Amino acid sequence: MSKLPLTLTVNGEPYQLEVEPHRTLLEVVRDDLRLTGAKEGCGTGDCGACSMIVNGRLVTSCLLLAVEARGADVLTIEGLARDGRLHPLQQAFIDHGGVQCGFCTPGMILAAKCLLDTNPNPSEEEIRRAVAGNLCRCTGYTKIVQAIAAAAEGPA
Amino acid sequence: MPEYRAVGRPTPRIEGVDKVTGRTVYTADLRLPGMLHARLLHSPHAHARIRRIDTARARALPGVEAVVTATDLPPLDTKRAASNRAYCLLAADEAVFAGQPVAAVVARDLSTAEEALDLIDVEYEELPAVLDPLDAMKEGSPLVRSDLEKTEGKPANVASQMRFTRGDLERGFAEADLVVERTYRTPVVHQGYLEPQATIVDYDAASGEMTIYTGTQGQFSIRDDICRMLHLPETKVRVVGLEVGGGFGARGFPFQALCAALALIVKRPVKLVLTRHEDLTSATPAPQAVFDLKARMKRDGTLVALQARAVYDSGAFPGAAMAIGCVMLGGYYRCPNLEIQGFEVLTNKVSVGAYRAPAVPSATFAIDSQMDIMARELGLDPLEVRLKNAVQEGDLLPGDRPYPRIGLRECLEQVRDSAIWRDRDQLEREPGPRRRGIGVAAGGWLGGLQPAAATVMLNGDGTVGVLVGANDISGTNTSFAQIAAEELALPLSQVRVTLGDSHTAPFAGVTGGSKTLFTVGRAVKAAAEDARRQILETAAQRLEVPVEDLDCVGGVVRSRADPEKSITFDRLARMTTGFGAAYPPVVGRGAVAARKQAPGFSVQAAEVEVDTDTGQVRVLGYVTVQDVGFAVNPLSVEGQMEGATAQGIGMGLFEEMLYDDRGRLLNPGLLDYRLPTAADVPHIETLIVEVPSEDGPYGARGVGEPPVTPGSAAIANAIHDAIGVRITEIPITPERILRSLGKVKG
Repeated sequence: MSKLPLTLTVNGEPYQLEVEPHRTLLEVVRDDLRLTGAKEGCGTGDCGACSMIVNGRLVTSCLLLAVEARGADVLTIEGLARDGRLHPLQQAFIDHGGVQCGFCTPGMILAAKCLLDTNPNPSEEEIRRAVAGNLCRCTGYTKIVQAIAAAAEGPA
Repeated sequence: MPEYRAVGRPTPRIEGVDKVTGRTVYTADLRLPGMLHARLLHSPHAHARIRRIDTARARALPGVEAVVTATDLPPLDTKRAASNRAYCLLAADEAVFAGQPVAAVVARDLSTAEEALDLIDVEYEELPAVLDPLDAMKEGSPLVRSDLEKTEGKPANVASQMRFTRGDLERGFAEADLVVERTYRTPVVHQGYLEPQATIVDYDAASGEMTIYTGTQGQFSIRDDICRMLHLPETKVRVVGLEVGGGFGARGFPFQALCAALALIVKRPVKLVLTRHEDLTSATPAPQAVFDLKARMKRDGTLVALQARAVYDSGAFPGAAMAIGCVMLGGYYRCPNLEIQGFEVLTNKVSVGAYRAPAVPSATFAIDSQMDIMARELGLDPLEVRLKNAVQEGDLLPGDRPYPRIGLRECLEQVRDSAIWRDRDQLEREPGPRRRGIGVAAGGWLGGLQPAAATVMLNGDGTVGVLVGANDISGTNTSFAQIAAEELALPLSQVRVTLGDSHTAPFAGVTGGSKTLFTVGRAVKAAAEDARRQILETAAQRLEVPVEDLDCVGGVVRSRADPEKSITFDRLARMTTGFGAAYPPVVGRGAVAARKQAPGFSVQAAEVEVDTDTGQVRVLGYVTVQDVGFAVNPLSVEGQMEGATAQGIGMGLFEEMLYDDRGRLLNPGLLDYRLPTAADVPHIETLIVEVPSEDGPYGARGVGEPPVTPGSAAIANAIHDAIGVRITEIPITPERILRSLGKVKG
């Protein structure tokens, strides 16, 4: 199958790629860029494990064709910590027990980041609604919600 | 209680940084040189004879390395294959459930493998499918598999049966004031792990070396199974247990073995990652069950007789943990007159496996709905009735083994004192369409046992390494670090826990049955104690003081009599590892074979709001109480309790694998197989009860499974409290609510 050119920015790094038109952003980021933090949990946009932030919006990257991200600014979990320093959400997820098996964690943290970027002081209900598209089977969500609330409040 | 430095303190996951940065490697993230990709073809029929499989067109597709059917597999133990799903990697002459793997394609990339699946022609002859377990038990039912034979007193589709009796049912019935008879139904539910099952097998034909990378709950059992099946020596097979993206019992078989067989055939590394569709149609979910209960109670709430029949539907191969379901059915409440019969029945549905407290959540739904009905009919407080009958130390389980010391009563008392239960009289009970109610339920799990070992080593700089073979699915590595830190009086930062592979790690049993901390934790504790003794002995020789005079804190060994005499772990390490050093290395060994279970109980109360116009249920509040013996890591323990509670809520309200009349799964995706979301689950209040076990480390009990058991009954009881209608089948969907209220016909 013929490939299409794709220029995009991932975690601040510019990339020039050639990809088959049927491949998803998730496949290209995982297989071509070897950034495997985003996970495929269902492949149908139901679980949120593949969440990335594309041009400031949370997307399920398993449903977005890579060529649709042409020119886009993409943030994956690998781009969140800077210079060896964890993002406050990452630290809060560890400290508050929001991490268990870890498979939903990258997507969950990015969903939380999207929320806090637009609503820095969310209520519990707002937090729950913001991550309702990201399934977690381990935590029962209580500690994830607490972690996000703590990150919103800033360092204690 | 003794003062502890490391255990008993809330401790964040030691692998947390890797998980929040995306560095953690799950199987699908791994890529080996020369690796091929496998995809599976499944039977579309619940029951069919396979007349012919034509793979020629698929094999001719460029990029396809192999198309494998049952006849191409290495010779397996066919006697076992007939009755054991683990040994039935691909259907041979007969497909026995829709979704059963029939053929595998191995190709250079996934899309080629996918394309080749469409080119395989299978000629099926459909056979009568048996889908309902009660139908399957009937005389004259078609056989689920052609190899099944009728034996005396047991219909052919019944895989196993059992019976517990105690006392005299007739006398019990005569004494009672109230009799309640009900049938309860629970569906097939799925573990719902977020990481699809995945395996990579690297096989080198020249050396015969095989390495299996997989997120498993039991690397040694996978190794043993695969070696037995494929006739390989264990010296040649290395299982590398990678991070598990949610286990819940499911990560055992049969896909790792299938992938190993494919690698043997193509002699190259093969990767097999299930799609979510396959995880739902073809893996090993939890059984459907039907319970007929007849129970009698005295006016004062004393349970005097329980008669029960439990039917667990194992699907096409045996696998339902029917016995433990029957034990717990009669194991929560004292009952002098008892008869429990269990049947494990086969049907042409996907064969089941373990899911968190196998067989017990459904049994608990039955018995704890039943207790609630009886308490309310007698006008008694449902929690007090449970307290009145709750088992305690010395009471008998079905089978008449006595309970050791347990904390069921303490858990009930905690819920009784919780705000949600205490304030239930103040609940708004307005006459509008939205009704609120509060329900309580209890459940438990006896806890598994399996031998385990661990080693604790002093590193060259005086830090400590812990080596284990137990795959971590719930934070046990963090708890092991705490245990080693406690015993060696070191800060947690100076302890490193490593999961070895099956060649290097000391043996540990399967991570399941809520026994990892209970068994491997004891081994780690013993190994750390052993290391400490070696450290003190070496220090005693060096310092020329009696070993009894020595103590160690913070990485320094010091004489109690003469505090001037001391030596650091760092220095000791060099004395035991350096070139020409005079003392042997410090390698602590711990190996245990625990024999006594430490049953754990959980009691939960839910507050719900039911919209009687739409049938929608919202869970507004929830308290989960559990006796964990001793919480080595309260942060992990709460996490287990909260996660299990959400799964219980899921079973109560949403989760159900639905089959059409030909046995095909109607909801093979996460949109329709509804796992609870953050918006469905309320803030869960967790209260830890600590009634120490006899043998667990620091008195700990197993934690992971008890709190999944009572959730669906607590929800059902709360819904009854809200709308006055008893629903005896889960999940309690809006449709079932409206039907029970007479608002939907049929």
